[in-house]
Amino acid sequence: MGSIHLNGFGLHTTLGRGVDANVQALTSAPQPPREVSVRFAHEQRSIPYYLLAEAPLDDLEARFEHVLYGVIAEALEHAGLTTAERRAMGFFLGSSCGEMPVLEAQYRRDLQLSHEALPMVQTSSLGNLANRLRAPFGIQGPDYSYYTACTASANALLAAASMLRAGRLRHAIVVGVEMFNAVTALGFSGLQLITRDVMRPFDRRRGGLAPGEGCGAVVISTQPSRGPWTLAGGANLCDTHSISATNPDGSAIAEVIQQALRACALDATAVAALKTHGTASLLNDEGEAAGLHRVFERAPALCALKPFIGHTFGACGIVELALFCASVDRGTLPATPGICAADSDLNIVLNQERRSQPPGKFMLNYFGFGGSNTSLIVANDRAQLA
Amino acid sequence: MSALYITACGDHVAGVDSDVSATELKALVTDAVGAPVRRIGRFIQLALIGAGRCAKQTPLPSTAAVYLGSGRGDLEVTIEVMQSLLRDGQAPKPLSFINTVSNAACFYVAQSLKLMGRSSFVCNRYFAFETMLQLAALDLAGGVVSTALVGTVDVVVPPLAGHRIRLGLAATTPVADASHWLCLQARPSHGALGQLLATEPFMDATALRAWLSQQVIDRNCLLATGQFMPATETVQWQRELELDIFDYRAGRAYYDSQSGAVLGEFLRSDRQGSLLHLNRDPSGRYSAMLLSK
Repeated sequence: MGSIHLNGFGLHTTLGRGVDANVQALTSAPQPPREVSVRFAHEQRSIPYYLLAEAPLDDLEARFEHVLYGVIAEALEHAGLTTAERRAMGFFLGSSCGEMPVLEAQYRRDLQLSHEALPMVQTSSLGNLANRLRAPFGIQGPDYSYYTACTASANALLAAASMLRAGRLRHAIVVGVEMFNAVTALGFSGLQLITRDVMRPFDRRRGGLAPGEGCGAVVISTQPSRGPWTLAGGANLCDTHSISATNPDGSAIAEVIQQALRACALDATAVAALKTHGTASLLNDEGEAAGLHRVFERAPALCALKPFIGHTFGACGIVELALFCASVDRGTLPATPGICAADSDLNIVLNQERRSQPPGKFMLNYFGFGGSNTSLIVANDRAQLA
Repeated sequence: MSALYITACGDHVAGVDSDVSATELKALVTDAVGAPVRRIGRFIQLALIGAGRCAKQTPLPSTAAVYLGSGRGDLEVTIEVMQSLLRDGQAPKPLSFINTVSNAACFYVAQSLKLMGRSSFVCNRYFAFETMLQLAALDLAGGVVSTALVGTVDVVVPPLAGHRIRLGLAATTPVADASHWLCLQARPSHGALGQLLATEPFMDATALRAWLSQQVIDRNCLLATGQFMPATETVQWQRELELDIFDYRAGRAYYDSQSGAVLGEFLRSDRQGSLLHLNRDPSGRYSAMLLSK
């Protein structure tokens, strides 16, 4: 399986705008989410949320496009493609909410004019977003918009890489987006999965997730350009145990991890460090921990990124990939001091202090609603992978 | 790409002509997958009907992958949640919220048919079916999967007047619920209904023509064109390629993924030989599917 080069990242999260700002902020301790007042009909509810830095929640429609265009432009600029290369590249999107922030804003406005107003009359296609995003950048290649919950942008990356390996495309951009909207905020609140504190994955004190806004983009190519990162491969499988939780015995998660390792012809011992999905919810952390124990006789160094940025749902595949790679580029594995230190009931220990991280092969895991489980393997050691 | 074998086709298309008379789907779901499935909406029901009809025609290994596409996703549940929340002031019900993630339909298909392979829900505005076929063909050709269940679903959400506005249709345009599925496998199959020879995207007409020039397309091949290609352009391609037309869209009510119908219509017809299907989007991109039986 040929390696796919990760040639340019763009990133915007609660930590900052741009990859550099994000990785700089990653050196500070995780902060709790903000409280955001969510208005619906005559009610208001306060929901914890990690909002994007430098992007006030005023005009949600303009904000949505502005943030996405910025992230895509950053990734494209770093990749340094020619106009012709950019025109032919594929456009891959992964999201849970899609354009929901825009749809909500439009519907709220229409409801002020008439109680009989209908939602989604100005735009109703989940596929339209990709067309709106690719057009200003002159991208004329095929587009694929993945909506597989929390694995969406990770699955989009796997599909894009397959197209490159098969020679169908030479370059592709993969975009993950998750922006503030009332449906997501109140939906997760209704599921009682929300914490008002810092997320504490695998920790005895874990109390749930905090939603996070995030947009990330990566340009992938068959030829190396800038940076040392390659996507070695990965796997995606469906766990039919439950629509909202993975099998707590870890069997389904172990299977997708093992399939990812097989796809890259790697043994579990080859994984130098692993980014957990780590939603800090009771059942999902239990299932993820059980899956890791099934595969790894001795666990590699483990880290979690959601304590810093919240759960960015469909965007987390690319957002956490960008954050992870940028941190390791600067020589350190992300650390969450005081979170899941040594006394986890799940027998998991997360990296506690920023430590030197030599080049190697790294696994990034993502598990989502609808039984979608995905495992990615990336490398920065320039090693030839089978 | 190497030829892929079509071992089953499952379709359901039902016109919806009244705000209150949409076809009852529960019995069709039970018939298709062998057991009732509770607490699901029409989008998921439609997915189960099409996928289940495929599964009844051919055995599916547990490793079979599910590729479900749509132009708009589960409009019904998304609209219901938005209206409840923003118009009626009710927070989303947990199951409704979970089902707003459109890959919920993939989950129910996989669970009902006892599949554990990869599953993907992918949207594309103009090439919903073609897109899923491309992704499945890629995985089959790469050996990532050996059997793929590929489908698209479109759901009508009453009131019809609002639905037509949402889809940008004239006030009298007939609309339909639709679910088109097929089963593809990489290995030759004795009972195969036909072969998928190619499924390709193109960024413009020049790229399409370059590809066509490399294909072996005999004069007996039929040409079909998708719903987003202007009629005048269909005539141009027919003249250029000198092929007869296979019209699978005449009298068909509107739904986004009509391209999904062409394979089943051709394979069930008494026509022999091959079929070339071309479609285009407003930005000048094209897709091509080539199949034979």
